[in-house]
Amino acid sequence: MPVSTLSLDALRQRLPQFLRQVPGQLQKLPSRVPRWLPQPGTKSAMGWISWRLLAAAVLLGGIVHISATFIAALSTTGQAYRQLAERLPANSMVVLPLQTSSRQILPFLPPDMLYAMCRYDLSSGSVAVSASVLDAGWALSLHTPDGRNLYVLPGQPRRRTDVSFVIVPSGPDAPPPPRRDGAADTQIASPTIEGVVILRAPIRGLAWMAETEAALQTAACTPVKQ
Amino acid sequence: MSRFKKALLNVALLLGVAVGGGLASAWYMIEAGSRLSARTFGSWVTWPSAGRPEADPYTRAHVTRNAELPLSSTAELTFRAKTDNRGAWLTSGCDYAVVMEEFDPAWWDLAVYDLQGRLVANPADRHAFNSSTAMRDLDGRTVVTLARDARPGNWLPSGRGNRVVLVLTVLDTNMANAVHNGGSLKSMPDIVRTGCR
Repeated sequence: MPVSTLSLDALRQRLPQFLRQVPGQLQKLPSRVPRWLPQPGTKSAMGWISWRLLAAAVLLGGIVHISATFIAALSTTGQAYRQLAERLPANSMVVLPLQTSSRQILPFLPPDMLYAMCRYDLSSGSVAVSASVLDAGWALSLHTPDGRNLYVLPGQPRRRTDVSFVIVPSGPDAPPPPRRDGAADTQIASPTIEGVVILRAPIRGLAWMAETEAALQTAACTPVKQ
Repeated sequence: MSRFKKALLNVALLLGVAVGGGLASAWYMIEAGSRLSARTFGSWVTWPSAGRPEADPYTRAHVTRNAELPLSSTAELTFRAKTDNRGAWLTSGCDYAVVMEEFDPAWWDLAVYDLQGRLVANPADRHAFNSSTAMRDLDGRTVVTLARDARPGNWLPSGRGNRVVLVLTVLDTNMANAVHNGGSLKSMPDIVRTGCR
């Protein structure tokens, strides 16, 4: 195909002619307008739609979406904690009975484990926690009432880990952390005054139930004397 | 069409798209999850930032709505399956084989619940298996059978309700890292339907 050079002047002369041809050429192209939208030059059954209003609806839908997401999170915050608070005394470790379908601790909580739980309340001071994590599957964790996991110590296969720490309140109004003679405990700052400590132990079989329960019974959660 | 009718239809459209669309999309993102907040591996869905202080709003809503207290997923992952490997809902009317092949995390736990997270009532009072209690086949595989009536091997009763959810809790730092870094998990358990009533 011969290629001829086009000077700028020639292009300027031909431009109006090209522009006149554009609408005709565009009409020859396959229509990309979706079928359900009004086609150019036709009166559609969808003609009643105000496209500006539809755009506003999409924008408003976005606002509803964001609001609904935050409301869903805020309205149900603390649901799990409230369920636990009903059965747990403050600042005391309690070993809960094995879960069954008629006696469940929380939804979706693994049922083949034993749990020792402590609901801590820092309103009158710090709380000391000590526990042993014995094997894989064991875990010691701290949760705020809104479900945030502040701390977790997962168990290692066949390796016992003894741990002790003091949960102290944090924030500008929080009292200073306690001084304990000779204590070298780790301090964990809790952003909330209340929360829950969970020590869980998997059940390896009925034969190990008593042993597992005894290990959980050694965990402690006590208020620190000021 | 009269102007009044047009205006009325437009207002109805506005409310329908805004309220209906907004609420439905929020519900979907909170319940089922999307790429923004959840990761899917076959039938299994996990919410990687569950329990973390910096969790996104969808994950937070998902966790609080289900009244859960999840462990931070740097150590542990919780996967949920509502469908089998063909995408059909898991129901107590069908039997399933959960096949764990080359699936060898430090520790795992497989439990069955109804859609609200309640344990499924059954005469055997059995609701879960874990890596210590499940029997392994001679070839190294572990197969857990989810069925209404008793089956040989690792039988997990699915009760007489309707739809059920399988929850797989995995304690494995390597897997948790792979999920967080966008990597793939090669050997997640398969959920194979073996028959229906």
